[in-house]
Amino acid sequence: MLAQGIKFCLPLAATLLVGCTGSIGGDGASAIDDSIAKSLCVVDTPIRRLTRFEYNRTVRDLLGDSSNPADLLPPEEEVAGFNNQAAALTSSDLLIEQYMNVAEGVSTRAVGNIEALLPNCDPELDGNESCASSFIQDFGKRAFRRPLLQSEAERFKAVFDWALADADLGRFEDGIQLVIETMLQSPSFLYRPELGEQTPIEGDIVPFTSWEMATKLSYMLWNTMPDNALFAAAEADELQTKEQIAAQARRMLEDDKARDLVRNFHTQWLQLTHLDSLTKDSGVYPNYDNSLRGLWKEEIQTFVEQVILEGDGSLRTLLTANYSFMNEELASFYGDDVLDSISGPELRQVQLQPERRAGLLTSAGLMASHANVNQSSPVFRGKFVREQLMCNTLPLPPNDLVIEPPELDPTKTTKEQFEEIGANPACAGCHTLMNPIGFIFEHYDGIGQWRDQQNGKPIDATGQVVQTDDIDGDYDGAPELARALADSTQVQECVSSQWFRFAYNRTVTSEDSCSIEQLNDVFRASDFNIKSLLVALTQTNAFLYRRAVELEPDAPGGAQ
Amino acid sequence: MKRIKRRAMLKGTLFGGTVAIGLPMLDAMLPVSGAAQTGTAPKRIVFWFTANGTRQDIWSPPANMDLNGHPLHAAMAPFSNKLIFLDGVDQSVTYDSIGDGHQTGMACMLTNAEILPGNLFCEGNCDAGNEQYVGWGGGQSVDQYIADEIAKDAVTKFKSLELGVQVKSSSIWSRMVYSAPDQPVPPREDPNQNFQDFFSDIDSDPFALRLIQRRRKSVLDAVMEEHAAFQSRLGYDDKQKLDKHLQSIRDLETRLAVTTNFGEACSSPELSLPGGTFQQNDMYPVTGKAQMDMLVMALACDLTRVASLQWSRSVSGVRFNWVPQTLDEGHHGLSHYDDSNANAKADLREINKWYSDQFAYLLGLMDGVQEGENTLLDNTVVVWVNELGKGNNHTRRDMPFILAGGCQGYFKTGQHIDFGGEPHGKLLVSLTHAMNKPVSTFGVPQYSQGPLSGLAL
Repeated sequence: MLAQGIKFCLPLAATLLVGCTGSIGGDGASAIDDSIAKSLCVVDTPIRRLTRFEYNRTVRDLLGDSSNPADLLPPEEEVAGFNNQAAALTSSDLLIEQYMNVAEGVSTRAVGNIEALLPNCDPELDGNESCASSFIQDFGKRAFRRPLLQSEAERFKAVFDWALADADLGRFEDGIQLVIETMLQSPSFLYRPELGEQTPIEGDIVPFTSWEMATKLSYMLWNTMPDNALFAAAEADELQTKEQIAAQARRMLEDDKARDLVRNFHTQWLQLTHLDSLTKDSGVYPNYDNSLRGLWKEEIQTFVEQVILEGDGSLRTLLTANYSFMNEELASFYGDDVLDSISGPELRQVQLQPERRAGLLTSAGLMASHANVNQSSPVFRGKFVREQLMCNTLPLPPNDLVIEPPELDPTKTTKEQFEEIGANPACAGCHTLMNPIGFIFEHYDGIGQWRDQQNGKPIDATGQVVQTDDIDGDYDGAPELARALADSTQVQECVSSQWFRFAYNRTVTSEDSCSIEQLNDVFRASDFNIKSLLVALTQTNAFLYRRAVELEPDAPGGAQ
Repeated sequence: MKRIKRRAMLKGTLFGGTVAIGLPMLDAMLPVSGAAQTGTAPKRIVFWFTANGTRQDIWSPPANMDLNGHPLHAAMAPFSNKLIFLDGVDQSVTYDSIGDGHQTGMACMLTNAEILPGNLFCEGNCDAGNEQYVGWGGGQSVDQYIADEIAKDAVTKFKSLELGVQVKSSSIWSRMVYSAPDQPVPPREDPNQNFQDFFSDIDSDPFALRLIQRRRKSVLDAVMEEHAAFQSRLGYDDKQKLDKHLQSIRDLETRLAVTTNFGEACSSPELSLPGGTFQQNDMYPVTGKAQMDMLVMALACDLTRVASLQWSRSVSGVRFNWVPQTLDEGHHGLSHYDDSNANAKADLREINKWYSDQFAYLLGLMDGVQEGENTLLDNTVVVWVNELGKGNNHTRRDMPFILAGGCQGYFKTGQHIDFGGEPHGKLLVSLTHAMNKPVSTFGVPQYSQGPLSGLAL
């Protein structure tokens, strides 16, 4: 923590609250011109390329191509729990080669419906030249998310002309196809440059252009390119003040595209991809069927989407709600835990027994993915809570250690077996952090079904939580623990920092302390509303400003 | 020009469809491939990775090298006179490096370099205050070094080919190939796409091929102009990042121009490939076989001279449902049981035996491709690597290295050598010598003082 940063940033945090609730001080006074030190907590993010997820959604919105063509690209590096971290997104020969293949596929499909690409121009009537030029300007602006430079427009026109002059091509469509192919491989499409304005507002601090801000907002809150409203705001240069930016952010969170954001974040934060390749021992779990994996995932995704985007939006609800979303098959899997009767394949809201189920953590998907094939795993569950909800970093097992997981013993409960392991002094140091938290989830077996006993013995779901900031103590059962987690400052700040990493595509640095402080203040004041946190992420100095680009001494500044 | 009479065919089933890859007449191809000066086929090198260590207690061959009845390697018996088993070689550098056993085993394996500091790879979070974790591997891997050197003499369609079987994620645990320090190279995992990328222009209409090349050149030229203009507006660090991207486009354009050389030499494979399922656990054997078939074809066609096939990744969790298993667990889980657990040991024996079976399949394919007096296998060295010696203690000592093929008579095959604790960097040096691109040390010099003795003829 940098005390200095906090001291300077507190007044700004107060301003921010007003901006985020939108209920007071709506006179539009320019936040960007305010006198708070803008040089504090400005941390530049390296230039980042689109992830496969973002590429797919971008060509969907740019060309109506919903074939997820970027699935062909090599997977992103997974760093700090997320696959969108700018510092780690490297390039490789294979990536570049596949960019070409993907661009060829997308452009081929696009010119299959040439009329849709040129709604206002008919080459037959208006001429090839005129239609090509207007296409390059209009499409180029959307593909590059800013108006084309004159030199760029000329370059793309030259590509078009080359195709028309080639003896084996020569059709108008060929020219358009090559233009699209070229644009989709250009850095202005594949990367998100955020170079900022030319003129500093303070020291070497520059704000972003409205075009850059439109792109920053859309990729942060939608994981895709800007829509027409954002482009219009950029065109009118109306993405300059904090109020303008916050207003767009609030609008965007009401749009269906925010579902992509919520789903993408939770897939990674909650490690839902583990579910894709899950297997269970059918001898131990006759109720298990591979079709459950998709349902479990969809239950969690629907739940977070509904709570955050349509419900009260609060972290407390995510962690403690006694309702969820199920269809008939899933409700039947949960059995007595579901209080409503439900039929049909659609997922609908159902009430759950509050003494058995509470929010995300007790969902079958999370319980099953943090378990072994044939038994629950107090270690995995404890580790998950520690790392993903409390932002603890657990030390790695020592080098050259022989690790012996307990074998199934039909005379003992899982808890009894793991207690023996945890008592081993060599393991206790770390496992006292994980195992007791895991024990609190022992009512859920390896596929997340409720159980009152195991191997003829009653389940003991008590556990002692130690070495936390604010929830040390004895707990009995997951709903009790979930309520404590929801009220824990450590958990609240952890969730806020997870969103920080995901939204800003980088880890938290020591220079971010005042941004973190602002975000936590807003989060707390909004009663831990995720949407408020997301809007607040558009209001920090870290989001609003950068340090002026330092070109190499001999580089032609701003040349193109 | 001498013509090979026998026309080898690779046959099998891929995703329900029939595969029949006709092998090319390599001699006929040589005069246009750039390798013809010597009048012989080129040397090749292939790295073959499997994860989580092995059964060190039963891994070694018998003194007479007769592998019949061997608990792991029986399938390799027909090739025993073309193999070298290396006992007592340690990945010594991993014990100096930061990072856990799997991380160092993986990242140092082909680089002999310590992992770079950084806060990229940690479990949970890497925020300020938790920076004790690691970055990417810290050196170029030996395959990429050799590929760069070969590229100075001869341009092949691919400078190197990295194939993977369900590697899936990208992290310090799943990358063994590095083009430079901090620059991991991802493997190609989709057999359907690989088929397209490798073979689509073989035997295709030369007219259509030239048009594709012309189009691509026009597009890539414009893309490179875009890059130059774009980069001039960036700050120094971002520009560095984009430089690599631009260099890859240049290389791609160069490679795309090569394909015409092989239009007549390689025949078109007949494949029926339904897509989308290659990442499912139970498709592991089928995907692996497809990758092996295409790897051998790519080598035979001289699409590349440096290749790797990476089965899964370190900490591999593949479930071997297709071999006899007692414990219903993934590979990594099984590899962590104590040595006293007979069930786990039996399961690990079956898993590692299955990998030996696959290795034998690859060797069989390669040995079936006649290149003049020798076979493709004779002209190649295949190097079996693993990130660990044994899973449950994460040891990187006494690594289970196997060499197959003599690399055109460089290696003295048909032997088993115990090196008694030599560092594995010396093996990497030996490989550069075998490929006629010799270095005196590779990676950390302390652990790579010259080649291993006794390997070369």
